[in-house]
Amino acid sequence: MRLDALSRLVRLSLARERKGAFFSAFGVAMGVGALVFFVGLGLGVGAVIREKVFPTDARLVDVVPPAVSLGSLLGGGTLDAPTVERLRELPGVEAAYRKMNVRVPAVTRYDGVFFGTRLRMGMEVLALGVEPALVQGDVQMGEFKDAGEGQPIPALVSTRLLELYNKTFAPARKLPQLSANMLVGFGFPVEFNRSYVAAASASGPTQSGQAQVVGASDRALLAGITIPLDAAIRLNRAFGVDAENYSGVTLVATDPSQVPVIVDAVKGMGLEIDDQERRMAENSGAAVALTTSALALLSLLICILAAVNIAHSLSASVRARAKEIGVMQAVGASRADIRAIVLAEAAVVGLAGGAAGTIAALLLALGVNRLAAGYLPNFPFKPDSFFSFPWPVVAGGVALGLLAALAGAYFPSRRAAATDPARTLAG
Amino acid sequence: MIQARDVVKTYVDGDGTQVRVLDGMSLDVTEGEFVAVVGSSGSGKSTLLHLLGGLDVDYRGDISVGGVKLRGLGDKALAHFRNTHVGFVFQSFHLIPNLSAVENVLLPSHFGVAPPDARKRAEALLERVGLGAKKDRAPVRLSGGERQRVAIARALFGKPRLLLCDEPTGNLDAATGTGVIALFQDLHREGLTVLCVTHEERMSAAAGRVLRLKDGQLVEERAGLQVATGGSP
Ligand SMILES: Nc1ncnc2c1ncn2[C@@H]1O[C@H](COP(=O)(O)OP(=O)(O)O)[C@@H](O)[C@H]1O
Ligand SMILES: [Mg+2]
Repeated sequence: MRLDALSRLVRLSLARERKGAFFSAFGVAMGVGALVFFVGLGLGVGAVIREKVFPTDARLVDVVPPAVSLGSLLGGGTLDAPTVERLRELPGVEAAYRKMNVRVPAVTRYDGVFFGTRLRMGMEVLALGVEPALVQGDVQMGEFKDAGEGQPIPALVSTRLLELYNKTFAPARKLPQLSANMLVGFGFPVEFNRSYVAAASASGPTQSGQAQVVGASDRALLAGITIPLDAAIRLNRAFGVDAENYSGVTLVATDPSQVPVIVDAVKGMGLEIDDQERRMAENSGAAVALTTSALALLSLLICILAAVNIAHSLSASVRARAKEIGVMQAVGASRADIRAIVLAEAAVVGLAGGAAGTIAALLLALGVNRLAAGYLPNFPFKPDSFFSFPWPVVAGGVALGLLAALAGAYFPSRRAAATDPARTLAG
Repeated sequence: MIQARDVVKTYVDGDGTQVRVLDGMSLDVTEGEFVAVVGSSGSGKSTLLHLLGGLDVDYRGDISVGGVKLRGLGDKALAHFRNTHVGFVFQSFHLIPNLSAVENVLLPSHFGVAPPDARKRAEALLERVGLGAKKDRAPVRLSGGERQRVAIARALFGKPRLLLCDEPTGNLDAATGTGVIALFQDLHREGLTVLCVTHEERMSAAAGRVLRLKDGQLVEERAGLQVATGGSP
């Protein structure tokens, strides 16, 4: 059957069954719209978790010494220089970056003008030394290296800390909002070997110095400052604490697929993997995926109901049109032609419903984003958009509408094709 | 034009009993004949037309129409046969209500090779049956006789050489029926073969030959004046 003829006949019967066709399409639109909306929401929130809340790089493996160092009794399990070399040589490892905590407590005391607001506070700081190459991309000022005693220590802050500060800490205390750019160059005093909480944790003299913010990084320590490895080693030496063993090593795999192999090898060396971040990311990701799946399933159920609805109304319409179908057969329609007409009718309804549902979902998402921007309080990691609609989701929505309608039309089209013209035309 | 040999058609009734409607029926119609088939209600006249027109292929025996052997034709080939070889005219017109007259006439063009001048051809056919001025009317706005003329124009669209008519004047009053009968006579005169099931005296009077369907067989009621197959010498 020719396409123009088919389209004429489809238009003809749709025009007659306008109401039924509308409700059929509406049902499809509901199902498809709900599905596209929830899948878009799930993908959007998932992306926020992956990219903003727990930005994890699939190629990174964080190695730490075992918590209970049984290994040290057996002559292993510490992260000394030879161990780091062995890690670096593991198959699949592209690079290994050493990290060392400053192993004495430190505090910062600030009393002055802080971006236009008078600020007086003191707090504990943790300092972690890392190899510059690990964070090179995030350093915005100067060179990330220890300039020696008496010189300011370059420090990176965590982008997530900044976000938490901006969205919860600062508003509650009427402190200004900060961006990484504003912070760069900001200097503050740090006193090492001094603590507010554990008064006598370290003996010996304290050492005062300056830290200077040089950027913000995803890879920086969340609660503290991240400084060049050399500075951490120098400070640890100065206070006579362990300056030989590293607190952790970040391995970069040549490829994400190498990660499991590396993890096994690391564990075989009596070391542990710090995968807290990754696990939290995975858990929240899984929670989102689960919720999305449940809602998507519900939407699919609506689609199935829409298909059943189409089956019903098409059956009725085919029955009502039995005579007309008989006439078409008498003037030359084959059974395949009749089937094609009914299927094409459903296809038009399904495509229209699918497209309408998808468009409605996109518009609704736009509305939700607007409302969220305008009325929801500013919370940490609040995204500009809660949704993500990659093109396969949009195309899939329309295709699903088509599929649901065709599924619904399956039996009615067969029944129509089986019409016995001799019986319907008699009399 | 039509050769039917020993055709047996059996319906299975609702309660499972077999009803033999045609029982060894044979029929020969030569090209250009105008044949009327009469018979009491329920004798199987409509059944006969459906078999000859390829609408029903569930029978025993042999039927060939216009040189086409119907047995063994597939769905597509049968559809093509109906589209090009025969034209049906029914008692109750069977026009599609939400298509205009000319669109009804065009209906066969959707299922076959549409000639490039399909619409012109449909309009010419309406002109031919005397409805040129009403080509855009919906069937509800046409009288019974006009509707039947539209149906005849539709039957002629595929340029068939055989018209199969099932009591075409059955739903028309006497005066209107006369006009339709005259139209069939004209078409016959132009060379069309016409097989017409009818109760109408005037229709059978117009036909060259009258056959009666009785007990599942066709018997000569009145032999043809010109070409009589099996007629007296
Ligand atoms: N589809 C069918 N199923 C069962 N019986 C049928 C069917 N069509 C026709 N019949 C029976 O076959 C007989 C002949 O019917 P039909 O050909 O319509 O007769 P006519 O046209 O001469 O009135 C009738 O008894 C009718 O009840
Ligand atoms: Mg009948």
